Amino acid sequence: MSLELLLVADSDSQLLACQALARFGSEHEARITVNAIPREGTPEAVLRALERIGPVWGLSQPALLADRRLDQFDAIGVYLTGSKLADFRSTYHLSRQSLRRAVRPLFCGFNGVVLERFEEAIAWRLGYDLICLNGPRDQARLELLLRHTPFSGQRSVLTGLGRNRPVPAADQRLRRLVFAEQVVMPATALERRRLVRILARLARRSPEWELVIKPRVAPHETTFHTVDTHISHTLAETLGSPPANLQLNYAPLAELLPESRLLATVSSTALFDALDLGCKAVVMDDFGLRQDLGTPFFAGSGLLRSLATAGDLDSLEQGATADPEWLHWVGYHRDFSPANLLEAIGQLGQTPVPRQMRLSQPGYLVNATDLSINQLRRGAETAIRRGDFKEAVRLLEIAQLQRPEHRNISRRLAAVRHDNRWKLRLALLVSPGFRL
Amino acid sequence: MNLGLVCEGEPGLAACRQLGQALRQRGACVTLLSPTEGNTAGNTGQDHLPWLPLAPLAAACSDLLQGLDAVGVFLEGAAVASFRRVHAEAARLRGAPPRPLFSGPIRPLCGDALTADLLPRLGYDLICVQGQAQQEELSWLLQDSGQTEQAVETIGLWCLPTQPIGHATSQQPMLLMLDQAELPPSPFANGVLYERLKAIALSSPGWLVRLQSESPLAVDPAEWPQTSLLWHGQQDLQRPANLQLGLADDLPMALIQASACLGIGSAWLISAMVWGKPTVVLGDYGIRTEFNGPLFFGSGAMQQLADCLPLERLLQLPPVNPHWLGSRGWAIADGPERLLRRLEQLGGEQP
Repeated sequence: MSLELLLVADSDSQLLACQALARFGSEHEARITVNAIPREGTPEAVLRALERIGPVWGLSQPALLADRRLDQFDAIGVYLTGSKLADFRSTYHLSRQSLRRAVRPLFCGFNGVVLERFEEAIAWRLGYDLICLNGPRDQARLELLLRHTPFSGQRSVLTGLGRNRPVPAADQRLRRLVFAEQVVMPATALERRRLVRILARLARRSPEWELVIKPRVAPHETTFHTVDTHISHTLAETLGSPPANLQLNYAPLAELLPESRLLATVSSTALFDALDLGCKAVVMDDFGLRQDLGTPFFAGSGLLRSLATAGDLDSLEQGATADPEWLHWVGYHRDFSPANLLEAIGQLGQTPVPRQMRLSQPGYLVNATDLSINQLRRGAETAIRRGDFKEAVRLLEIAQLQRPEHRNISRRLAAVRHDNRWKLRLALLVSPGFRL
Repeated sequence: MNLGLVCEGEPGLAACRQLGQALRQRGACVTLLSPTEGNTAGNTGQDHLPWLPLAPLAAACSDLLQGLDAVGVFLEGAAVASFRRVHAEAARLRGAPPRPLFSGPIRPLCGDALTADLLPRLGYDLICVQGQAQQEELSWLLQDSGQTEQAVETIGLWCLPTQPIGHATSQQPMLLMLDQAELPPSPFANGVLYERLKAIALSSPGWLVRLQSESPLAVDPAEWPQTSLLWHGQQDLQRPANLQLGLADDLPMALIQASACLGIGSAWLISAMVWGKPTVVLGDYGIRTEFNGPLFFGSGAMQQLADCLPLERLLQLPPVNPHWLGSRGWAIADGPERLLRRLEQLGGEQP
């Protein structure tokens, strides 16, 4: 049975996750459309790559929810950041209710390895019909978090860390190391300069190799994290004149890795892209195992190496083989792939309309219960429209606790707190409401 | 057994004192090794533990450790790994085997914070975690890091006050708000929360609302952190009479007298739950890692502030989720015995 799926994303990272899923779908009898919500700084290359796989829409969220074509899909995958994920789920259900249209199963997931804030991320994702997880490691964490809570019935599916069509390793690859740079790992200018110096020295010790730093984003592009200094500036100010065999290269990893022998990273999901593409990989442990760097995740991989003390790149390449048990544990194994998602969606389709999990439970609070600022403000406006000012105060008070510096929230709250009906009406007129 | 417990400042000192007394009641001889003895209240007479004024690294290479069967290292951060390294180096130079070292989190942590806490403890002869939940998280970390040989023991909520207390609830009902010096992390956000609590006090004249610092503050209120509710209370010239401020020293007594307890992410919330006090974890901020939300996610005690009004509602709250409390360590009733057993085994394994 062929499935029709819609994927919704905005930032470049999320679109890359969609790209992998779309590619997989196109090879497995699923027709996948991607809606890239317009956002400044989204790399054109990512959008072009998506268009080569299948249809790409560019609708805003409200336009998408109003679009009749939404009903043609068997399921909708949402790849947005936490609060937007919860907002989409909530507004999607409200829109289907008001338009009297059928609800499709919603699924969401993560883009690559989850290095931190897993529990918080799950608290935004609860209520989705399916949460895609990477592997047994994430499943164990989900199970522990939800055990003995009213949310223990949350469905999840293991979709793995493989994102590319596998390419065999070959001898004739270039003697090239690709270093997958991350914008905040490490984060301090001091450590980023140290990183660059270590790479430069390694390049000097390996004159027959080419050492390529692949920046996470081009200087004009944006990503989830905001940064002050681009790696190109760090390189220039740290080294002055770098060795001839050390260069920046902005080509996509999908182009660089199939012809390179080795990838190095601090903690990037690109490590698994390298394995997909037949390129050996090592994890840089010169900064130690630190939670803020995400390196503990890779500690059991068998791939930790000090680049500062490595003799040269030939010696670094030797023995760079990942531990198979660790790969299975984290989700890099043929048992875990988007095929599991397609199967789970197929099963959802065979059951009657899936019952929504009740997120409001006494004694429990989850972020997905309309707790984002936008949801709270929208809820308050709805309450104001129906004259329920007590509820509006309740919601705006929560919003104010979360964002005390937000002047419009404070002004709106002051307005709805008026006891006098006329003063209240007047204050509502002059205080800013909320529109997304 | 002859044991030493190494710590530096709070909350390690209070935790070690508590563990030391529990171990002593079971026949062990325990000495505190710490630069200061800290607050000696409740540590007098028969309860007093022998104390040596030693900074952690001085203790790590001290000959005094040679007379001990094992040493508990209850430091945090990089100091944990430094202690083990220095002790091993000192033992090497001395030509004697290092003493068995045990260690573990001194707070009820979970998730990222637990991982960051446990990382420098890997490689200790024994890691003590509190309950099944921490044990599971440690097992994943060991699996991630390939160190599956690490010895681990669950010893319960050893670092929190959980011994039965008397119930001497004050005549006027009292809501105890646990004030964490750094939460919420901005002075402005604290000010908004303070105003909300003040409004609650004003609208509940029959109640006493007490803002209780959970950590020691400077003697001079001008030096209190602006990210604490107490600072805002001190600044408020129109603070209602039924909105009181309480310092950390009074916390245990205030908790005994409280009718209900409220907090954002304080470890003392767990003590209040164990003691059966109606307890609310403030849920208005949602599940946020920096607010300790993941720890209390499963507690069944999260409420929004508006849902606690009128305050009489607090007295009818459903009990905390017992499975959650059990998995945090409350299910382990024989923690000190377990620890002593494991340390005896370790002693037997040492060359």
